Amino acid sequence: MATKLVTERLSAWFGKKQVLKDISIAFEERQVTALVGPSGCGKSTFIRCLNRMHELNPGARVEGKAFLDGIDIYGMDPMDVRRKIGMVFQKPNPFPNMSISDNVVAGIKLSGEKSKADLDAIVERTLKSVGLYDEVKDDLRRSGASLSGGQQQRLCIARALAMEPEVILMDEPTSALDPASTSRIEDLIRKLKSEITVIIITHNVGQAARISDKTAFLYLGELIEYNDTKEFFESPKSPITERYITGRFG
Amino acid sequence: MNKKSIFFKDSAFKYLVGGSSLIVVAFFVMIFVMLAVRSYPSMANDPLMIFGSTWDVNSGLYGGIPAILGTLASSAIAVALAVPISLGMSVFFTEYAPRRVRAALSIVIDMLATIPSVIFGIWGLWIVAPLVKTYVQDPIVGSIGFIPLFSGPAYGLSLFLASLVLTFMIVPIISSLTISLLSTTPVELREAMISLGATRWEVVRHVALPFSKLGIFASIILALGRALGETMAVTMVIGNSFIWPFSSISLFSPASTITSKIASELYEAVDVLHVSSLVELGLILLVITLLVNSSARLVITRISRRNASG
Repeated sequence: MATKLVTERLSAWFGKKQVLKDISIAFEERQVTALVGPSGCGKSTFIRCLNRMHELNPGARVEGKAFLDGIDIYGMDPMDVRRKIGMVFQKPNPFPNMSISDNVVAGIKLSGEKSKADLDAIVERTLKSVGLYDEVKDDLRRSGASLSGGQQQRLCIARALAMEPEVILMDEPTSALDPASTSRIEDLIRKLKSEITVIIITHNVGQAARISDKTAFLYLGELIEYNDTKEFFESPKSPITERYITGRFG
Repeated sequence: MNKKSIFFKDSAFKYLVGGSSLIVVAFFVMIFVMLAVRSYPSMANDPLMIFGSTWDVNSGLYGGIPAILGTLASSAIAVALAVPISLGMSVFFTEYAPRRVRAALSIVIDMLATIPSVIFGIWGLWIVAPLVKTYVQDPIVGSIGFIPLFSGPAYGLSLFLASLVLTFMIVPIISSLTISLLSTTPVELREAMISLGATRWEVVRHVALPFSKLGIFASIILALGRALGETMAVTMVIGNSFIWPFSSISLFSPASTITSKIASELYEAVDVLHVSSLVELGLILLVITLLVNSSARLVITRISRRNASG
């Protein structure tokens, strides 16, 4: 299995407060890796370092290295990094002023001129891949904000996929959704890994066990344990990991 | 007994607040009625005279079109100049300015909004007028003065100068509102756009501005209303001449507005027809302002309804 994304001693700060401490990890290509850990452990900050969004916060700082296919992410143009490493957020955030189809191609339209036919094809293909096409095909001009929460989140995943990213980062993508919508998105994530590397933060250890190939546990800004998901849950090496996955804190 | 006294207090309160609202409505009706009654002599004399092109007190001619057009033109030019300046400043303020620059800029904008209009008038007269004459009017008249809109001679006091002073008066209105609107753009929408590889400008263009466009439109209408009704500063710098637009259409020609006409003539007017014609101009200004505001309201409800229904 090839590695896709690697960090070496990655540390991050908000002002004087250090929130990540020397994280070294290798994410494998076309696998789903789950990041688990209690709130405030630095999971979100970590994935935001991978697509260079952490540095947008005033006073934020990053040290250490991150490589995408061996290329230093911090030596690349941040816009290019974000086109290659897509992101899905905790709260569904479709652009309310745009239609469903405009939402899907919002990022594509930034990167250059494409014909109407090309854009329509992208809309259809990506909406089909997130299983939303049949639900919305009758009125693609409707506002993205008019959809249900679960549909909005699938629209946001479609918007990220339309960019044809190599990696997709998901920050608790189902925590604001009902169980039915959650299970649809979990199915979708399992399907996605045939083409794409997925790194997903989840608050829900059950979800990590269901959908991921590997699981990493972060605690107080440090990487405590990283292993195949099966191993991780069956025989955790660290006592803190064990306490976390058995629900004794979180 | 107790219950009754609470009831009494409550209904007394109701009448008190209801009465306050009634006073506001009554004021509005009174102003309207006053304008209508006092302009009656002019309307009865010749209902169409106010829409004539000549205002000549000695011959008893009271044509208000130059003043009406002057009001519309000076406000339109001011809005056209103020909108790009205000939007540019607001985007710089919310997206690019370092914290210290932002603090300083926000004080300046607030102070600009509180400067009394007579001060703007003095400033326009003493500082802006000579600068504009030397650096704008003379070069333009000298180069493209053959176009009637830019023809000379440049007097100094002009429609253009009045528009410029108005511009500075309405920039703080549009920008302070636009700044507060842009800074309420939801972070999750900004981040969504950034995560797609957008530049800062693209975030502004595709997220922040569309998110705030209704409010920005409303602030522009508010500013337009202010410009239409502004009296003191305009009266001081526009030259109060009826040359524009029929004898000279040039932007650099002295002109008049409804407000400058009323402010400069009402106290000296003795003829009933003169007074009532000035009041009728005031009535027309009120109607213009009401039309502008209500059509803006219509547009806003249309757009927001369209957005809500998806």
